[in-house]
Parts: sequence; C-alpha cells; structure tokens
Amino acid sequence: MEEDLQIIEASGEAHETALSSLGINGQLFVFQLINFAMVAVIVWFLILRPLTKKMEERRALINDSLDKAKEVEAALAMSEIKFQERIDDAKAEANKIIEQAYGEARNLGDDMKGKAKREIQLLIDQAKRNIQIERDDAMQQVRAEAGTMIVASVKKILGEVLDEKKDKKIIDDVLTKI
Amino acid sequence: MTEAHIPTFAPEVIGHIGSVSITNTMINAWIAMIIFLFFGLFLVKRIALRPGRLQNGCEYFLEGLFGYLDQVTGGRKETLRFLPIVGSVFFFILLSNWLGLIPGTGSITAGHAPLLRPANTDLNLTVAMALVSVIASHIFAFGTIGFFAHANKFIQIGTLVKAVKHGPIGIFTALVECMVGIIEIVGEMAKVVSLSLRLFGNIFAGEVLISVISSLVAFLVPAPFMLLELLVGLIQASVFAMLTTVYLTVATSAPHGAEQ
Repeated sequence: MEEDLQIIEASGEAHETALSSLGINGQLFVFQLINFAMVAVIVWFLILRPLTKKMEERRALINDSLDKAKEVEAALAMSEIKFQERIDDAKAEANKIIEQAYGEARNLGDDMKGKAKREIQLLIDQAKRNIQIERDDAMQQVRAEAGTMIVASVKKILGEVLDEKKDKKIIDDVLTKI
Repeated sequence: MTEAHIPTFAPEVIGHIGSVSITNTMINAWIAMIIFLFFGLFLVKRIALRPGRLQNGCEYFLEGLFGYLDQVTGGRKETLRFLPIVGSVFFFILLSNWLGLIPGTGSITAGHAPLLRPANTDLNLTVAMALVSVIASHIFAFGTIGFFAHANKFIQIGTLVKAVKHGPIGIFTALVECMVGIIEIVGEMAKVVSLSLRLFGNIFAGEVLISVISSLVAFLVPAPFMLLELLVGLIQASVFAMLTTVYLTVATSAPHGAEQ
C-alpha cells in the first residue's frame, strides 16, 4: 500500500516536474490568461468593433444609396414609359385632329364649291335676265324707231298727214309683218 | 563571437510585485497591450464614415482577413460573430511575434535574465490562448445548437437510450458512437495541446535560432533570419486564428444526423 502511494506520489512529482520544465506554472498561467483577456478586450472594444461597426454603417449606406439609385432608375424608366405613352396619345390625338381637319376642310371646300357654283349660276341667270331685259328694251326701241321710220316713209310716199288713228293702224300692220 | 544566451523553456523571472513574479514574456505582453491601447484610442478618436489613411489601411487589412475567414465560416455573419475571439487572437499573436524582433529583445538584460522575450515563447500564454479558443468554441456551440445537442457529440447517452428500440445492432452502433464520443473528448484536449505547442514551438525555435545566429555573427547575418521570423510570426498568427475559426465553425454546426 505504501509502495503504491510512493509510486503515485513519484509519478505526480514527475508530471509536475515535466510541466515545470516546460515553464508551466499555475500563477503565471493565470496572469497570462488575464493578460490575454485584457488584450482581447482592448483589441475588440477599441479596434475591431469600431472598425467593423463603421464598415457595416458604410456598407448599409452604400446599399441604401444603391437601392435608392435603383428606385430612381425604375422611376425614370416608368416616367419614360409614361412620357412615351403620352407622346403616343398626343400623336394619335394630333392625327385624329388632322384627319378631322382634313375632313372639315374637304367639306368646307365642297360647300364653298357648291356655294360658288350657285352664285355663279345666280350671276349667269342674272346676266341672262339682264340680257333678256336689254334685248327686250332694244326690241322695244327698234320697234319704236321702225314705227317712226315707217310713219315718216309713209308720209313721204303718200304725201299726206295721217291722223293718229291711221298712224297707229299702219304701224301695227307693218310691225305685225315684221 | 559572444556567448550565446539560449532561452530556457520557462520564461525568466525579472522581478516581483508583492508575491507575484514578473517574467520577461509578461513585459512583452504588456508592451503589446499598451500598443493596442494607444492605437485603439488613436483610431477611435479619428474613426469616421469617410476614412482617413490609417482607417483605410486598417479596413483594407481587415477586409483581407475577413475574406480568408469567410471561406472557413461560410459567411460574413458568422465571421463577425467569431471576430472577438479570432481577431483578438490573431492580432495579439502577430504583434507579440513581431515585437520579439525589435532590437533589445534578448540582449537587454535585467540582472542575469533578458528584459524582453517574445510573449509566445511562454507556454503559459499559448496554453491560455488555446484554452480560451477551445472553451469559446464550446460556449458558442451551446448557444448555437443547444446544450444537449452539443453535449451529445461527446457523451452520447441519448443515442444509447434511443438505440434500445432498434435491437442489438442498434445498441452496438450506439456503443461505438459512445466510444467515438470519448475519442472526441480526447480530441478536444489534443486541440489545446496542439494549438499551444505549435505556436510555442515555432516562436521559441525562432528565438533560439536568432539568439544563436546573433551570438555567432551579430552584424547583417541575422537579418535574413529575422525576415524569416517576420514571416513565421504572420504564418503562426494566421494558423492559430484559422484553426480557432475552424474549431468554432465545426462546433457550431449541427451534429451528423441531427436533421433526421
């Protein structure tokens, strides 16, 4: 029993000696652990965390900007589509108006042509009537002149003055013959 | 040729504050702490949405680190979640390693011991950091996948109870899984040992190498080795940080068959 205890003690001491020869020491280990913990705290809280935080902030900002740029791009594309639609609508409207204007112009032209024709017809009719009136007047004058000439001729031939009654009779006879 | 001062495994005690021994590796760790403190205060004062040159450089370096970490964690969200541990470990190891290259380290003495010695040549510190990394991975795992789901990776009593319904083959499979769970526990211990010894070994070896070379030829010849140590310092910091990230990622992922 004692021998066993001695062996255990001896192996424990040997183990301790091996660790000591490598420099392992409980107190030093704890202090180095504390040193490392302090370094970790300093490195994390003073260097790594502020840097990563700032990098994340910047990344978020860039992503937001990119998203906004995409939104603006989409809005622009939408505006362009709407603009194109409006332009197309306006073109269609303009074409319709032009078409309508052509139609109206054609109708107006036709109306004006008709009106002009009617006016011309009226003018022609008027002129014809005037010609007829002038012709009638001329005929009237010719008849009157002819009557006068006949009376004068008869007076000369017959050498007598006819009374008004005879005058009229002779003129009428001649005129009816004419 | 001067007498070579070969560092011992144990850090040299250069003084006492009360009953507390102050070692030269602790001095180095404190210098790193003070540098981080002043740098942090300076940075916090100047930090802005529109970065200056210093902030820009830091962010560039951090983005590069995030790129590597993202490949392991699988996403920026997880990387940022593990950053307090991984980032602290990486930057502290890197600065401590590089501080070991400043003139005076190993040559300025206090009594018979060098006043300065790279902090990671102290196994106490590397074990402390490795323990923090491994314990943090378990804390994160408890928070992410739940206490019982994570504990069941190591102590598979639940699997054994469920296996009773599936007959002898099921019980046999569950027993094998229980054994695997015990191996997993050993594996967790191995993580601490491997992480701490790898860092300690590499940095200690570098310190010994530079000490020996400097004692042989003090002028110009140690320069290439110091440049090599600069690289080793970065690589070891990266390896430690990457492995910590891997442990955190693996621990926080759901165990196999959890979705069934």
